Amino acid sequence: MAINLPETDVVVVGLGAAGGVAVLPLTRAGLNVIGLEAGTWMNPGTDYHADEIHNNVRALVTTGNKVAGEIPTVRRSPTETAVQQARHPMMNAVGGTSIHYHAQSWRFNPWDFRVRSATLERYGAGYLPEGTTLEDWPVSYDDLEPYYDLVEYAVGVSGVAGNIQGVINPEGNIFEGPRRRDYPMPPLRSCDFLDRMAEAARAIGYHPYHAPAAINSGVYDGRPGCQFHGYCDRGGCHVRAKNSTDVSTIPKALATGNLTVTDNANVRRIESDNTGKVNGVTYIRDGEEYFQPARAVLLGCYTYENIRLLLLSRSGFYPDGLGNNRGQVGRNYFGHWDVQAGASVTALFPVDLNIWYGAIAQRVIVDDWADDNFDHAGLGFIGGATISVSTEKHPIGSAAMSTFDKVDRRWGSAWKAFIRENAGRTASTYIQTSTFPYEHTWADLDPNVRDPFGDPVLRLTQGAKRNEPMAAAYAGEKMEAWFRAAGATDIINTGGGRGPSLSTHAHGGTRMGNDPGTNVCDNYGFSFEARNLGIIGGSVMPTVGARNPTQTLQALAWRTAQHLVDDWNGITA
Amino acid sequence: MDKPPGEDGRQVSRRNLLKSAVSASSVTLIPLATSSCSTPIQPSGLVISAEARVILETFVDRIIPADDNGPGALDAGVIFYINNALANWNSNETDMLVEGLFNLARASRRRYDKEFSLLPNANKDALLRDMEDGKIEGFANSTQVFNRLHRLTLEGMFSDPYYGGNQDYAGWDLIGYPGAVMSSTPDMQRMGSRLPPLHTSAYGSDYDGD
Repeated sequence: MAINLPETDVVVVGLGAAGGVAVLPLTRAGLNVIGLEAGTWMNPGTDYHADEIHNNVRALVTTGNKVAGEIPTVRRSPTETAVQQARHPMMNAVGGTSIHYHAQSWRFNPWDFRVRSATLERYGAGYLPEGTTLEDWPVSYDDLEPYYDLVEYAVGVSGVAGNIQGVINPEGNIFEGPRRRDYPMPPLRSCDFLDRMAEAARAIGYHPYHAPAAINSGVYDGRPGCQFHGYCDRGGCHVRAKNSTDVSTIPKALATGNLTVTDNANVRRIESDNTGKVNGVTYIRDGEEYFQPARAVLLGCYTYENIRLLLLSRSGFYPDGLGNNRGQVGRNYFGHWDVQAGASVTALFPVDLNIWYGAIAQRVIVDDWADDNFDHAGLGFIGGATISVSTEKHPIGSAAMSTFDKVDRRWGSAWKAFIRENAGRTASTYIQTSTFPYEHTWADLDPNVRDPFGDPVLRLTQGAKRNEPMAAAYAGEKMEAWFRAAGATDIINTGGGRGPSLSTHAHGGTRMGNDPGTNVCDNYGFSFEARNLGIIGGSVMPTVGARNPTQTLQALAWRTAQHLVDDWNGITA
Repeated sequence: MDKPPGEDGRQVSRRNLLKSAVSASSVTLIPLATSSCSTPIQPSGLVISAEARVILETFVDRIIPADDNGPGALDAGVIFYINNALANWNSNETDMLVEGLFNLARASRRRYDKEFSLLPNANKDALLRDMEDGKIEGFANSTQVFNRLHRLTLEGMFSDPYYGGNQDYAGWDLIGYPGAVMSSTPDMQRMGSRLPPLHTSAYGSDYDGD
């Protein structure tokens, strides 16, 4: 029997990038909040290392105890048996995946929120990708702008504004939507290589700028600026300059006295009553089962676990899973990296680049072929990709690099001479496209594979996309031209080609929208069916832009939490 | 470190070969890192037999040979890295890889009537090319075994010396990676010429591999 705990106002399930932000407006409004987190607190002094084996080869920062037991399966079509993947892309910890992410912290372009109607207006219905279930977001850029601003200042984002209240600054992203004020911090420092790439971009008519990052460029909130040691990717920050929620918003929420963090809590079900309202959460901690009653629940796990927990939380009222009486949970799932939505381009220069150090978010980026920033007439696809270059090269990865067909084997003395000369002379980048939902891509429970508790893991069915690889190929050519303009002598463009896979940018599955027949959440992120259940995280996003999703899902999480505060009596009635 | 890497790779090589011979017979423990590490490398004895080890030593020596461009994989202690990996993190692969090494040795005896380690380099390389290309009869997964051993060799050569390889920073010196630091200056990101070596491990100043 579960141990019954005293009721609280709000339970937040998962204290990662989304939940770790949502607790701040809730606790500041005076609500009592219990945050249930499957992992525990990380210790920057002992848990993080400047070490490629630790972070990248063995993924020891990112491998959490709980996610390791619930890795999803993937397949291309319903006729295949889905195969469980080797590693979960996420981690369990207070701060969650914001601990090891690149901290590229973006607002989406205003176009991203209305891709469907903007496409119909500019190009006509024939331009919508075949089989897409694309809908406009139920919120606009203007709706979200105040929350983007709150997140940028509470989390701490460095960058250079391109559009402050309509005034364009060519040093920033000239394509971005208007922001009310500048970033709280200037961008991360530049370096020779990035300066050369920016100069080359301008020379061929591109509009480069320094990418924003949730990393301190100087002292902020009492924490130091980035030290550029070059082990940010999949590593936590040893000086707490990366603004993961465990060092930014969660401590601020704890300071209100209204947040209780319960770590090592393995949430198994969200419970509901016979009217369809949720009334609490069942979790296991140290082998003991607890029931935590709550007036409202915010579900804030990674996309995969948000979907799975809803599907597992069956009841008399919800026989097919919580909030799933219309069969929409798991629909409209899409990953940024599944089915060749991404492509990578690697360039060889005739000079030592010295980009060993730095940070993966120390980056110059170009938006000219992203979103709808260019005319797509005759191209056969919508959306586009950002192209960018960054620092942070690791030794094993650099030694294992492409040999650009210059030696016939990747071993032996000839190869050794090649890498001696060139391992420090390559720059590798990826093409990140806007990505949309399709009928052929969804998530459900796997009929065969189970987690250590005996519950099914999530199964992802990912059909082949046509639109996104075309956008990636188009932008890939622009990236090649950019590398050449900067003096690269050789270029390898992989052109994508990934099979179905798990994604560090997983979205949808509990999509927000205006139509309850095709969406799980309303325009504030609350379940259409369980009215006191809010859902936060990438799973609510209807599309993803040509950029990293975290700041957008954090702004949405803040907005959902604020709505709970503002309409507390209505939502919990 | 008693000598800049690359000046006399052969001497370094002999020294480390001697060291590996000692560890082969007495099961020398790999030194532990500073206590600040959350993932201590457990000291491990040899997880593969002396016979398999000789084949593995020959393999890594041909993947990254000692030559005019500096020490090779043997000099850098890649064997220590792989042994630690097979004893711990990569232990699920040990059986497959050891079986693969014996398949390679059998192919050598069949083709040249000689042990793999005693072949002239040209013959060793010809066998390894066929192994990589999947062209050795009776060795169906030769490409897979080659790729994994190749990958482990690179990991051993270019990882932090804390893990047992990259001794005397031979791997990092080869590609011009100065070393692990807690903080970099703008000067350390200047383009144009190789940065001077720092020979620093993420796990403290003692980790030069000796």
